[in-house]
Parts: sequence; C-alpha cells; structure tokens
Amino acid sequence: MKRHTNWPLAMALSFGYLCVAGAAAAQVSLEVMNPRGEIPPPKTLGISPRGGNLDGKKIVLIDNGKYGASNFLDALADMLKQKYPAATIVMYPKPAAQTITDLPKWYPTVKQQGDLFVFGVGD
Amino acid sequence: MPGVYFTTTEFLEDAKSAAKDRGMPGIRTLALPADKYYVARANKQEVQAIVEAFFDEMVEALTRPLTPEETKPSQAQQLHESANIKVTGKDFLDASEKVNELFLDNHWADGLPIVPPTPELVKQMEAGTTRSPKEVIGQVAPKNGTATIEKVAINAVMAGAKPEYLPVILAAMEGFLDKHYDLTHVVASTGSFTPVVIVDGPIAKELDFNSGIGMLGHGWRANSTVGRALQLSLLNLGQTWPQVNFMGLTGRLEAYTFYTFAEDTAKSPWEPYNVSQGFQAGESTVTVSSAGNPQIFGGGAVAPWTAQGVIDQIVAQIRNRGVVWPHAQKHIIVLHPDCAVELANKGYTRRSLQEYLYEQTRVPFEKLAKGVSFGEGSEEDFIRASIADGRIRPDRAQIFLDNLKPGGWIPVVQSPDDFHIVVAGGSPGYDLLFTYPGTNWAHQTKKIDGATLTKAGH
Repeated sequence: MKRHTNWPLAMALSFGYLCVAGAAAAQVSLEVMNPRGEIPPPKTLGISPRGGNLDGKKIVLIDNGKYGASNFLDALADMLKQKYPAATIVMYPKPAAQTITDLPKWYPTVKQQGDLFVFGVGD
Repeated sequence: MPGVYFTTTEFLEDAKSAAKDRGMPGIRTLALPADKYYVARANKQEVQAIVEAFFDEMVEALTRPLTPEETKPSQAQQLHESANIKVTGKDFLDASEKVNELFLDNHWADGLPIVPPTPELVKQMEAGTTRSPKEVIGQVAPKNGTATIEKVAINAVMAGAKPEYLPVILAAMEGFLDKHYDLTHVVASTGSFTPVVIVDGPIAKELDFNSGIGMLGHGWRANSTVGRALQLSLLNLGQTWPQVNFMGLTGRLEAYTFYTFAEDTAKSPWEPYNVSQGFQAGESTVTVSSAGNPQIFGGGAVAPWTAQGVIDQIVAQIRNRGVVWPHAQKHIIVLHPDCAVELANKGYTRRSLQEYLYEQTRVPFEKLAKGVSFGEGSEEDFIRASIADGRIRPDRAQIFLDNLKPGGWIPVVQSPDDFHIVVAGGSPGYDLLFTYPGTNWAHQTKKIDGATLTKAGH
C-alpha cells in the first residue's frame, strides 16, 4: 500500500458539503460533526448539613498521600488541639495511590472515624 | 459527613471539575496558594504559616449552615453533543479556518490544524469497519463521554487518518476503555504520562506503519494519524483540557501522536509480541500502555555496544530508580533488531530474557529505603501493606515474604511478565525503556477486527 495518500483528496471531498449560500454573497457553508461524546449527567447531590462549632467534635484528617500533606495536616492538628481542646483529632490516611481501584470500598469507612473530615492536599 | 477539601490554586479548576463530574459540585474547597505551598510543604514548621492563614476559613467551611443550593443543587442536564454545526466563510479556505478556530475555542482540537469532519468524510471513515456507527465502545474518563464508532470516526477524520486505519484506532480505544485500564491516570496525571501504541501482525505492514529507523518520529501517516486520532478521541470523549483537568505538568513529550509504532516481526528473532500475550501468530493486534518518557540505551551509529551491555544498562537503570514498588512497576523494552538477534544468538528467548531481567533487577533487603512518601513508613512496610491489601498478587506474595529478611532479594516487579519486550528500530539502532508506575491497570492488547479495506484485521 502506498504511503503518500492523499490530503488534497480529503480536503477536496469537503467541498462536497459546501453550499453556495447565494451568488451575490459568494459565501460557503461547511457542515461539520461534533467530536464530543454524550455524557450521561450524574445525579447531583447536596453536601452534608453542618452548623454549631467544633467543640466536642471528632475531626478526621485525611492525608491523601501526596508529598507534604502529612506536614500540613500535622500542623493543622496541632492548631485544632490548641484552639478546640474539647475536639478529638483522628489521623486517617487514604490508602496509597496505587490502590485507586479499591478506593470506592475505602471511602465509606471514613464516616466511621468521626463527625467531620478535612481532606488534603489535592493536586 | 460534613467536610472540607484542601487543594491549591493551580488545581482549583481541576477540583471543581472533578466535583461536578461526580455529582457534588457544592463540596466546600479551599485553595492554598500554589506558589507558597509547594515550597513550604517540605516541613511542618514552614507550612505552619499557611495553616494559620487558612484556619478560620476552614472552620467556617466546616460549620457554616448550608445555603438552599448547597442543600438541594440543580440537577445536571444532559448536554447534547450530536447536532452538526454549520460554519460559513467567504470561501472554502475561510470556512475551514473558521472550523479550526471554533474547534480550538471549544477545546475540541489539539492546536494543530484539523481536517473538518464533514458528514461525508465521516461516512467514508466509517466504511473502514463493518461495525455499526451507533455501536457503543464505552465511556471515556474522566467525564465519561460515550465513545461510539461514529464519534471515534469523527476524531479520526480530524486527525487526518485514512478509513483503513479505523479498525486499528477502534481496537486501541477498546484497550483504553477496558475495565482493567486506569484511563483517568494517563489522561489527567501531573506526571504527563503518555500512551504507547504498538501495532503487531500483518496489518502493520499492510498499512505501512513504520517499525524501523525513526519509528517514533514523523513521516509515516499511519503512525502519526492513528496516534493523533487516539489523542483527539480521548481529549474529546473524555473532555480533558490542560490547566483544567489534564494537569500534566510539562505536557506529554509526544502530545500529538503518542508513542505509536509497529513491531518489526520480520526482523525479530522471537515470536511476535502479541503471541506472548496469548494471541495467535498471524493475528493483528494493537497494544496500548501508559508510560513515562523513554530512556535510550546502546550506541546507535556513534558508539560501540554489545547486547549484554545494553541489558546491563537497562538493569542498572531500573535498579537505580530509588524506589521499590513491586506491585506497581511495568517496563516496556523496545530492542532494535540487531540487539534482539544478538541476544537470541546468545540463547535468549523472550521468556528467558524476561526471567533474567526479573532476577537481575532484584534489590537486596538491606537496600530497602527506610522512608517512603506514601504514608506506610519504610519500603518493607510498604511491601507488606501491598501484600496485605492484594496489590501484590496472592500467587506472588510468598516470594516477597520469603525475602523480607536480611540476605533476601526483593523483586522490583511482581513477575517476569511485567517486562514487555518488543522489537523495533533501525540498524543501527537504539534501545528504549518505558517505565510506568502501574503493573496491572494500564496495559491492554486487543485484536484488530472488522476491517473492510485491508486483507488483515478481519
């Protein structure tokens, strides 16, 4: 099979879909197809209700495993303990990045760890 | 469960996009300043100031009562992407340029000129396969756009592909959309990973894929446009865009055509690669595999080399990666024909070479790192955790357990099968190593079928 076919042919075929919009205007229209796929819309959910303050709450800090997130969350834990001594801090790291396919099983376990969560640091 | 999500300013659009895709657009998200956070995160003391700056905002996000929209958001509506578009210009070239501008403005193109996908050209493209235009291949990550034969054909036209290439493109898309392929990673990751696309079998020669000198370069329409059709299909059906939800930091080095080439089965001393993957000799297949950018070995035209020296260099490179992720390493090794023949003359089969690589790349237990970045502590802890949660396959776990002790040797891959050896390149030639941090979830070989315009691929 010859290698060098045939861009001019492809472009010329496009002329088959040119419509002369009007001799006076001398314009042409090109009809093209949309390259995007239909996306079934997901069911849209609200976020969980909240209110009050953090006193007495069990706060789950989720380290997403990215470099430095543990430093950020450790510093955050210190500050939470200082400002909300009645709160309980739970460190609950997300499983390693290589277990992506198992995460749907893991997310529901977060709810068992406490009342509120902080997740970070995403990139 | 009430929560707040921290990201950084550079990833805020990505986070919003992902939240919307997953049906929870209102999730409260705080964006740390990227220019400060990525430097400060190295230690707790330096990141303290950022924590203090965002503390009150975080507390507020965790406690402020919801708005009505947050409680009950508007339902996402179906976006209809099926209607044709009419573009008018003063002549054909003007109209064509306007199509190009429109497509790029809509994030439907890659920045190079496209062939306008007119219904007639798409119909001609579809004639390359026996499959129905309405057949659904699957949903494309990350936004789960529906890939039909017709939609892939539209993107193939845009890429400049010929109708006879369509069965190759469709088989590759089936690989990407296989349930075992983690497509989200390769189309979104900061690592700028790039698909490798390897065509095997008689259709490669019939379609004039380059497998010799310059097989990753320009000049061959099959290599260039099959890869570009796949890039455009993933871009448009998954709806990704740089700085929005494709966050490859450097961008891919083969951004437009991926690493697309054919195996040189005529010069290979071994059975075709696809036979090693369970296909019959003479069948035409395409392999898709996520990979990092390749490293080059051997002497090419300018320095002496030996086959054993090439293998030794590759072994050293793999062992010197500095991390042992036995559950998560896959290597594609592309040997140029002279090197493969030399190895065969020394008695290597593809299988024995895989086993040699497996043995030689093992690292001593004493060399395992004491700390890794994924939260499991030492590499030993990491490997044990990988065994416990199944990341290291149960049938391979005992090998690791037996060697997690002084004097033990730890494999860097789960099995010899994780070295994929392919023969391609010139004479003289170089040898390539593609490495990817994922053993089982980003590598598929699919049979090419349904071809109407070629002798092979039925």
